[in-house]
Formats: sequence, C-alpha cells, structure tokens
Amino acid sequence: MEKRPTTVLVVDDNQDLAENIAEILTLHGFATVIATSAEEALPKALAARFDLLVTDFRLPGMTGAELVRRVRETLQTIRAVVMSAYTDDNTIAAARAAGATFLPKPVDLSALSQVLAA
Amino acid sequence: MKELTFFANIKLYVGFTDASSAALRELHPIAQPFFRPIVDDFYAAIEAHPGAREAITGGQAQIDRLKLTLIKWMDLMLLGPHDEEYYQLRARIGRMHVRIALPQQYMFTAMDRIRVRLLEVIRNEILDDPAKVERVATALNQILDLELAIMLETYREDLETKNRNAERLATIGQFAASIGHELRNPLGVVESSLYLLRQHLKREADAPAVKKHLDRIGSEVQRANKTIHDLLDLARNRPPQRRATSLRELVDSAGEAALLPAALTLHSSVPADLALNIDPDQIRQVLANLFTNAMQALKGRGQLWVEVEPGPDGGTKVRVRDDGPGIPNEERNRIFEALFTTKAKGSGLGLALCRRIMEAHGGTIELEARPGGASFLLTFPDGQA
Repeated sequence: MEKRPTTVLVVDDNQDLAENIAEILTLHGFATVIATSAEEALPKALAARFDLLVTDFRLPGMTGAELVRRVRETLQTIRAVVMSAYTDDNTIAAARAAGATFLPKPVDLSALSQVLAA
Repeated sequence: MKELTFFANIKLYVGFTDASSAALRELHPIAQPFFRPIVDDFYAAIEAHPGAREAITGGQAQIDRLKLTLIKWMDLMLLGPHDEEYYQLRARIGRMHVRIALPQQYMFTAMDRIRVRLLEVIRNEILDDPAKVERVATALNQILDLELAIMLETYREDLETKNRNAERLATIGQFAASIGHELRNPLGVVESSLYLLRQHLKREADAPAVKKHLDRIGSEVQRANKTIHDLLDLARNRPPQRRATSLRELVDSAGEAALLPAALTLHSSVPADLALNIDPDQIRQVLANLFTNAMQALKGRGQLWVEVEPGPDGGTKVRVRDDGPGIPNEERNRIFEALFTTKAKGSGLGLALCRRIMEAHGGTIELEARPGGASFLLTFPDGQA
C-alpha cells in the first residue's frame, strides 16, 4: 500500500507567502492546505487531522502559539512550527511553550524541510 | 509676573544683592595678591590626585593655561558685574567641565578649596574691622554658592540633552524595527518565489542570461535582509559581544564595508599586534560610519588617517581624521544627536549609533577640536585583549 503523504496546514496572513511555502512543501512531497487566519485555520485543522501545522506567529486576532495550543487540545500529536520575523525572547518562549519549533523569518528553506522531515 | 531667570532665582535664594557685589569689589584689591599662590596650590592638589588629574590631558602647557584662566575667573568673580552676561560666561565654563567629563564631586572639592583659601585671606588681611570681615566673607560664600549652582546646572542640562537623545533614538529604533519587520514578509515572498521559479525553470535556470538575473535577485534580497537584520540589531540595542579582535583587520574590513574609492587613501598606522576586547561587528560599524562620513565630506578624494595612542588606565584611543573641510563650529554640539544631519541623503542615525555603540562598550566618541579636517577620537577603556 502506498504511504499517505504527510499533510501540512500552512497559516500566514500574507497569502502570497502562505502559497509559496505550501508550493515549496508540495515540491518536497507534502500534501498542503493553506489558511490566512486563525479562524480559517482552526476548523480546517480539526476537520482534516493534519500531521503538521506551520504557522506565522503574528496572526490577526490570535498568535500562532495560541493557534497551536487550540489545535493541540484536539490533535495532541500534531507537530507544529511557528515562524516569525520577531525574534525576541518572548515570541520564541511563547512558541516553545505551545510545543512548537520556532523558525525565524525569513525562513531558511533547508531548516524548514529539516524540521518537517524529522 | 515675569518669570525669573535661573540666575536671578538662585541669587534670590542665596540672598545675593547689589550690596554683595559691592562687598566683593571691596575684597578684590585685598585678595588679588594671593591669587597666584591659591592657584598654584589648587593645581598642585589636582596633580597629586589620580582621579582629578585624569581630566587634564594636555600636560604642563594645559595646566599653565588653566592657571591663568582660574586667576581671571577669580578676578571676574570679585569684580562682577554679576549680571546675566556673567551667568552666560560662567555657564560656558561649566560646560567646558562637562565636556572634559570632570566628575561632579571634584567640582565641590575644588570650589571648597578656593573658599577656604579666600576666607583665610580675609581673616588674615582684614584686621580690626569685624564688620567688614563679616560683610565680605558672607558675600564670598554667597558668590561661591552661586558658582557651584551654575556648574551643577550645566551638568543637569547636559544630562537632559543625553536623556532627550536616548528617547529620540528609542523612538526611531521602534520605527525602524516595525518597518524592518514589515519588510521581511515581502522579502520572504520574493525569496520563496525565486526558489520556486528556479525549480520550475529547471535546466533553463542555468542559461547564463536567466541565471544572471536570478542570482542578482537572490543576492539583492540577501543584502536587503542583511540591512534589515543590522537595523533591527541596532534598534534592539544589543549589548556588545566582546572578543579579542585585531584592530588593524577591523579597520581594513571597515574600509571595505564603506566602499572607499581609490582616490581616497586610508593611512592606517594601527600596530599589527593590537587586539581589543570589543564586539567586532559593532565597532566595524562605528569605523565604517566614520569612513563613510569622511568620504562624503571629501567628495571621494583625499586622505584619511587611523591612528592609535594609549588612553588613560591602560585604555586605547583610536583617532579617525581626514583632510576634508571639517565640521563647522555651530554644528559641533549637535552632530551626535539622533536625526541631526547636514547631508541631503543622511538619516541622522550614523553618529548617534556610533555614540551608542561606544557607550555600550564603556567608551566614548568625541569630535576633537583641531584645525584642518574632522577628527574623531574613540576611547576604549582597558580594552586590550
């Protein structure tokens, strides 16, 4: 039986960036869906049982860390990556406290694929 | 009611009146013959004290000049007139003390030394007239209190200016940070689109005409990212990450970073074995900023010198000077202020950031008063690695 591709939900309020990240991940063999807000992401994440959540930290209405926490209330095992151009200690600590890997923006694509392949 | 000036207000407070001025004029011919020994004694005490001596960097010649200045200072103190012009003159002297960074506590001791000696003169020279002794001694105490108040006022003004600068820099830093963050996302899109474009083009991406432009986009995006990174770094006021750094190599790499043109000659007399315990990235930025300023002042053609000399207490002084037009007197006090610029395309951040970096290193940056060109002196405390 063919192995099901790893599924990734990409969340960024910059749609171009969300699409680009998704497209790159697709090239690397992932199955992707994008969302441009936490409100859009939350139901999508819970409906499709993604393996991975890749989200920006600064989202309107909710931080990426908060989104990870909410998703994890239902999907305890989902792996998560939080990205941000803000690399201050508070942002990094919030991402890690939610159980996500933090990646600074601009995202180093090889760092991202390493994290996702792990 | 018209608001009192600082000087009028403080005169009122210490009870200094026209009668006080008259009593001081009465004292002048009596005290004047003792000015010379008082001044000699005054500077002997400074020379004997390591902390106070540090403020005097010009050797005996400077001390001789300062002695004459102090005699004139006492002349004027007793002769007056003690008007607003007097205040302005005294404030200027106070600012000179601020500029050489004389610690405030020495001001008190120095003023007290003069007070003790002059009171001694009054007691010894005015005999059989207790009322006169009382009159001139009171006036002397009053004027010396006024002098001290003026000196302290100049220190307060200086501190206020520094605080104002720090606030401005903080505001600018916040602006810079938010703009920097905002630019990161579009750059991220460009960067990832470039990556995807390369994937889609496959072999075509290697065609020279295509590759040249893809590479160009890539390297320019990288450069923009680097600029934003540096800007955010500075806005964040990152503490220096010190390590032993060859100053000579740092000067060379700062010259490269400033893209000095061939018609501008950089004469570096930094010894090859001089290593300072500094943050190389930050100090490279300081040097590169000074080089860039010099290059613009010289319009790309001229001489630039980097010289090293020992500083106080095992520190190191690094002088960056050029043979350009120099900095006009009226701008000297403002060039380190954030947002102050005389350049059409200047941001007014360069020297303000230089100063912040130097202060974070426990050092200073100052514009030296010397003829011909601009001369900046960086002082690193006990920085040799």
